[in-house]
Amino acid sequence: MEKEHVRDALQGIVGKKNVLWKDVDLTVYSYDAGLVKGKAGLVAFVDNSDQVAQIVSFLCKEGISYVARGSGTNLTGGTVPLDGGVVIEFSRMNRILEIDIENERVVVEPGIYNLTVQNALAEKGYYYAPDPASQKASSMGGNLGENAGGPHCLKYGVTSNHVLGAEVVLPNGEKTWIGGKALDAPGPDLMGLLVGSEGTLGIATKIVCRIMRSPERVLTMLCIYSSVEAAGQTVSDIVAEGIIPATLEIMDNLVIRAVEASVHAGYPLDAEAVLLIELDGLTDGMDEQMKRITEICEKDGVVSYRLAKDVNERNILWAGRRGAFGAVARLRPAYLVCDGTVPRTELPKALSEVKKISEKYRVPIGNVFHAGDGNLHPLILFDDRDADEVARVHKAGREILKVCADLGGTISGEHGIGTEKLREMSFVFKDGDIRMMRGIKQAVDPKGLCNPGKVIPREEARPR
Amino acid sequence: MKEQATTDGGAPFRTLESLGVEARHVERPTKEREAQQVLARAFKEKLTVLPVGGATAISAGTLPERVDIVLDMTGMEGIAHFDISNLNMTVLAGTTLNGINEFLAGQGNGFFLPLDPPFSERATIGGVYASNGSGPSRLRYGAVRDQVLGVRGIDAQGGEVGFGGKTVKNVSGYDLTKFLIGSAGSLCLITAAIMRVYPLPAASSICEVTFPAIGELEKFLQALRSSVLLPSGVTVEQVLGAFRVLSAFEGHPLAVERENRDFLSLAGPFGGKGEAKMGREVMEEAIRGAIEPVGDAMAIKVTVPLSEGPATLAGLKDLAGPAKTVLFAGNGVILVYGADERIIDGAKRLAAHGYVAPIRLHRSLLSTWGPRVNPALEQIVLRPIKEKLDPSGVFPPIL
Repeated sequence: MEKEHVRDALQGIVGKKNVLWKDVDLTVYSYDAGLVKGKAGLVAFVDNSDQVAQIVSFLCKEGISYVARGSGTNLTGGTVPLDGGVVIEFSRMNRILEIDIENERVVVEPGIYNLTVQNALAEKGYYYAPDPASQKASSMGGNLGENAGGPHCLKYGVTSNHVLGAEVVLPNGEKTWIGGKALDAPGPDLMGLLVGSEGTLGIATKIVCRIMRSPERVLTMLCIYSSVEAAGQTVSDIVAEGIIPATLEIMDNLVIRAVEASVHAGYPLDAEAVLLIELDGLTDGMDEQMKRITEICEKDGVVSYRLAKDVNERNILWAGRRGAFGAVARLRPAYLVCDGTVPRTELPKALSEVKKISEKYRVPIGNVFHAGDGNLHPLILFDDRDADEVARVHKAGREILKVCADLGGTISGEHGIGTEKLREMSFVFKDGDIRMMRGIKQAVDPKGLCNPGKVIPREEARPR
Repeated sequence: MKEQATTDGGAPFRTLESLGVEARHVERPTKEREAQQVLARAFKEKLTVLPVGGATAISAGTLPERVDIVLDMTGMEGIAHFDISNLNMTVLAGTTLNGINEFLAGQGNGFFLPLDPPFSERATIGGVYASNGSGPSRLRYGAVRDQVLGVRGIDAQGGEVGFGGKTVKNVSGYDLTKFLIGSAGSLCLITAAIMRVYPLPAASSICEVTFPAIGELEKFLQALRSSVLLPSGVTVEQVLGAFRVLSAFEGHPLAVERENRDFLSLAGPFGGKGEAKMGREVMEEAIRGAIEPVGDAMAIKVTVPLSEGPATLAGLKDLAGPAKTVLFAGNGVILVYGADERIIDGAKRLAAHGYVAPIRLHRSLLSTWGPRVNPALEQIVLRPIKEKLDPSGVFPPIL
């Protein structure tokens, strides 16, 4: 890339002060919350969708790659520029454009934080269901790109189930709409394809989401267990009873200790596992459901349990869960999240295998997971200055994902493939499946400039 | 293979003929391998293939003038796997919705699949998936895109493909499980789907209320949306100038009883009068009666933003006269039966903020339909994808 020529052009679109080009600035945009490091050629801060369309159109003509970036919290290297391309930075496109109560929709720009949207909706008695633990920092555009989940997705589904439309800049720079406020746009489900495509098929510049009325009542209960397996058994038994709580979240002892040191959520330090159970909905019948749940907990050997008395206590319990990733980051200089998912009933087997892998590769692994939907998050803690340990971490992570795939699950539940799980795609997809995905990428982005090197493994050269 | 899988034509021929499509040959595979062989041959011999299930929403895609092979998928029928603990099932594409729900009702304490488009006795899961069919219960449970976890299929060259899986959360690779919804067989043949299932609720009810005028109906529906009540589905029909509303409730018996009471109380100030009845059978029968037409009428689906539902319904009723129209309130979906050219033109005007899509229409009406998606999406996204995935045009056109 002829940097000066491109810089001048980008500055012409977004203004001189909104383009970063010095090495020291670019370094900050050469990595994200994952482990991989890349190299940003330039960074452009955008303010509106016309600027995005002009930038993409220019880069398409010049044959220069680009990556859209929200907050970079994806954890798989999805927002890392791998080949010196341009980073299109969305943090200034952070407005709520419309809260349409009558039609139960909110229209936002991609750079706004998930939690900012939630807070604005809460004032009106509404909420947006996907609530990733990173919601304080993760952007709605990033949530769309990664198909983000969160604790409440057990009952309400993931981002894909709640994003109904988007204004999109296509890889040739053309701006158009996919879906909108009305349901069922004719033809194949393009919104379903775009969500989770990690910015490789186009860039969302406005997002239309479904919003829901806040429930009449919420009950949150903290259950203490002497083993992770017993907590997992309770999860299976609750669902088998026909009760679908809003959340079922488990943390193991390593994570509990880290959380207590950091957030002081009131989790007992000697507990081997805590299970957070939340019911929401109508008041009528909820006490009876919670009573049945406590009977199940007791049958499974719960050590103790307590219901949050009020919203403050509920918030403290949740602060522990939402702060878990940040808390473990205090234990070692770095961590790798293995975001594999298994059928709920396979959780005990998966956790047992994770323990063996931890011992085999001599790396500490903490577990915090969305138990209700089988979404594990083994956190492998390590020192990224220790090359030998880093190598063992990667092997351990790969083995954990293989375990998930072999148990009938998959390699990512909510953090995406990015660059870090490309090799593991073969655990769950055959050549024909990946060929079809690659065909879609080539059809929509024939020049391969839109966040290249992510999601789809490169085609291997066949031996002659 | 050919002898096993070929029939004399039968229902698929008659259906296609009635819609103005010339079909030359029918294959009825009973196994994935047989379907694979048909597609591999079609690719080699440059033949066109139209997959058909119950043919209840056959116009959701573009119907070609002539089809070399009609792939009658009703032979691929049955439940391949039911995972009672993880609440999912793998079901072959030709299985009807009624067949699925009869099976589920008999398992353990009883389960169900909350997909309730019209013609559930004939509509197959593959067809509902390919046409993005839905019914009133999507208000609570969502549509196909919210229920499907994974699919198995066969590509345009006869190769097996599979996407998604058995877990609710899955962001591994592009979400083709969702992308293929509504693709009407234009990109891939669906042979099986992995669906979420739900335990049958402890209690169910149906509330029926009639409102004298559209103004009151609109205010009531807005009040209902703003309330904490959680109906499973709400239908609205215009009958003799009045508006008949059905609302289904499901869940804990105490919650359902309270919802019945509150629903009727909420309707009162807007002039709505009616009653509540408990029971699952009575609820299902009432909803089915509201959404199903008599016979195989020409049909379209109109979707609008939620608040525009009642006015659009009334406008369509003015156009459609005695023909049946029904709104899934809370979803903004309206089914119009007995559609003709005049009704279609009117629907397009009324749904300026939404969409009009064919469900079952004669080719002559489809040929003048016009573009179904905006030109950028058609030219930059959909056509290139179609050319890449189905270069020789084995499957029907993509819109």
